[in-house]
Amino acid sequence: MARLVGIFELPGQAAAAVVQLRGRGYTDIETYSPAPFTEVDDAVHPKPSRVRLMTLIGGLVGVVTGYAMTIWMANNWQIMVGGKPFSSIPPYTIIAFELTILFGGVLTVLGLFLFGKLPKFKIDPAYSSRFSAEDFGVVVRCREQDVAEIDALLRENDATEVTLVES
Amino acid sequence: MTPPRTDTVAGMIRPVPMPPDSQVNRDLLAVMKGASSGYWFLLALSLFFMHLAGGIWVYQVYWGLGIAGYAHPVFWGVYIVTFVFWIGIAHAGTLISAILFLFRAKWRNAINRGAEAMTVFAVLTAAQFLGIHVGRMWKSYFILPYPNQRGLWVNFKSPLLWDTFAISTYATISILFLYVGLIPDIAIARDRATGWKKVLYTILSLGWVGSSNQWKAHNRSVLHLSGLATPLVLSVHSVVSWDFAMALVPGWHTTIFAPYFVAGAIFSGFAMVLTLMIPVRRIFGLEAYITDYHFENMSRFILLTSIICGYAYAAEYFISWYSGVEPEQTAFWLRAFGPYWISTWVMIIFNTILPQLLWFKKLRVNVPFLFVLSVCINIGMWFERYVIIVSALSREYNPATWGEFIPSWPEMGILAGSFGFFCTFFLIFLKLFPIVAIAEMKEIAIHEKAHGAQGAD
Repeated sequence: MARLVGIFELPGQAAAAVVQLRGRGYTDIETYSPAPFTEVDDAVHPKPSRVRLMTLIGGLVGVVTGYAMTIWMANNWQIMVGGKPFSSIPPYTIIAFELTILFGGVLTVLGLFLFGKLPKFKIDPAYSSRFSAEDFGVVVRCREQDVAEIDALLRENDATEVTLVES
Repeated sequence: MTPPRTDTVAGMIRPVPMPPDSQVNRDLLAVMKGASSGYWFLLALSLFFMHLAGGIWVYQVYWGLGIAGYAHPVFWGVYIVTFVFWIGIAHAGTLISAILFLFRAKWRNAINRGAEAMTVFAVLTAAQFLGIHVGRMWKSYFILPYPNQRGLWVNFKSPLLWDTFAISTYATISILFLYVGLIPDIAIARDRATGWKKVLYTILSLGWVGSSNQWKAHNRSVLHLSGLATPLVLSVHSVVSWDFAMALVPGWHTTIFAPYFVAGAIFSGFAMVLTLMIPVRRIFGLEAYITDYHFENMSRFILLTSIICGYAYAAEYFISWYSGVEPEQTAFWLRAFGPYWISTWVMIIFNTILPQLLWFKKLRVNVPFLFVLSVCINIGMWFERYVIIVSALSREYNPATWGEFIPSWPEMGILAGSFGFFCTFFLIFLKLFPIVAIAEMKEIAIHEKAHGAQGAD
C-alpha cells in the first residue's frame, strides 16, 4: 500500500478531488484543512456530526437531574420556607435550566473529543505544518499500482504538489 | 514529478515540502514572541496589586469582616459591588462569541478570542468575591448541595443558590468555549514552537491536525456551545439581578432588574473589550486584523446598550414615583439627592449621557476617544452597582435603621487587587495563546482568495 498527499491552495479544489476519488472507489481518504470548510469536510464525511446527539443527551440528563435533585432534596428534609410548597417548580426551573446548559455543554465537548478522535497521541506522518498555514491536504491510501492514476487525478484538480508518504 | 513506477514507490517517499509560513500565522504568532520592558512592568504592577489584595485578604480572614467596615445596615458593600461588576464584564465575551456567531456577524472573528479570554478571567475574578465577602469563608462550601452528617440540604428557593449554579455553569461553559476555540490555534502554535512551549502546545492541542472529522465535530461543537451559551449569558445576569430583586428592599424589588442588568452587563463588557483591545492592537501592530470597522461596530453596541440602560434608569424613577409607595419614592429621591448623589450622577453621566456622543461617526472611529470613553463607562458601571447596592441597603423602610456606608481601605485594596488578578492572567494569556483567532481569520482570508480565483476565471 502507498499513500499520496495532494496539496491544494483552495478548499473547492480539494473538495472536488475528494469527490472524484470517492467516485472512482477510493474510500480511504483524509483531508487536512487550516480552517473549517464545510465543502471539504462534507466531501469526506457527508453525514452530519454525531456531536449533536451528545448535546441532546447532555441537555436531557441535565434537565432531569435538575428537577430530580431539587425535588428530592427538598422533600428529603422538609423545611418550610415562606409558606411555599416543598416541590416548588418555578425556582427549581432555574436550577434545572442551569444544569441543562452545564451537562449539555460538557457532553458537547466530550462529543468533540469522541467524534473528533481527540486526544491523538501519534500524529500522521502525512500531516505537515503547511496544513496549519494555508494549504489543504488530501491524503489517499491506495495500492501501489494505482499511484499513477491518483497522482494524475490530483493534478487534474489543480494540486500544486503531490508527494508520496509512508503508509 | 513524473508518475512513479510501482516498484520504486518506497524509494520515492519523502516529507511534504515546506513553503514559507502564511502571513496570518506570522503576524498573529508574533504577538506571543518576546516581551518588552513595558510588558514586564505591567505584569509586575498587576502581580503587585494581586499580592497586595492577597495580603489584605489574609488580614481580613484573621480579623473578620469588621475591618472592611461591614456593620449594620450595609453588609453588602464594595465586595458585592465588585462581584457584580466583574460578572457584568464577563458577559461581552460570550455575547461576541456565541450570539454574534449565531447571527453570522463575521466581524466578531477579530475580537472574539480576546473577549472570550476576558470573560474567563472576569468570571474567575468575580467568583473570588463570593469567598471574600462572607465572614467565614472556610465554610463557603455550605452553599453546595452535598450529603452531610446533619442530613441537611441547601435551600433551592434562595436566589443565592441559583447564583451558585449560574456562576459555576457560566465559568465552566466559558472555559470550555475558550478552550474549544483555542484547540486549532494551539495546534498552529505547536507546529511552529520550540522548547518547553512545544511540549505545552503538544499537550494542549491534543494532537489536533485539522482533519475532516475533527473540523466537522469542532464546527458542530462550537455551534451547539453557542446555542447553549446564548440563553446562559442572558440567564446569568438575570439570576445575579434576582439576588437583589427577590428581596423586599426599596430600590431592589423590581421586575425590570433582569433585562436592566443584562443590558448593563453587555454595555460594560463591550467597554472592557475596547479598553483591552485598543492597547493590544496598538502595541502589537494588529491594525490589519482589528480594524476601525470592528471598533465602530462595538461602539454601536455600546450606544444601543447605553440607551437601554438609560431607559431602565428612567423607568426605575418613573415607576417609583408612579407607584405611590413612599419608601420606594424616598429611596430614589435619596439616590439622586441624598448622601450618595455623587455616585448616582457619575453613573448617569458616564453610562447614559457620554455614550450619546457615539451618534457621531467621527467619534465612533476616533480610537483615543473610544479608549477614554470605555474607561469612563467601566467607572460608571462600577458606580451603577455601588448605587444600587449601597444606597438601597443604607436606606431601608425604617429611618431609625438608616446608616452611612463609606468604603474602607481593605475593600479598596481588594478592589485594586481584583484588577491586578484580572490583568495578570490577561497579560500571561497574551504571551501564551493567540489573542486573535488565527484559524477564523484564515477562514476569511481563504474565502477571499477562493472568490478572487473564481473572479479571475
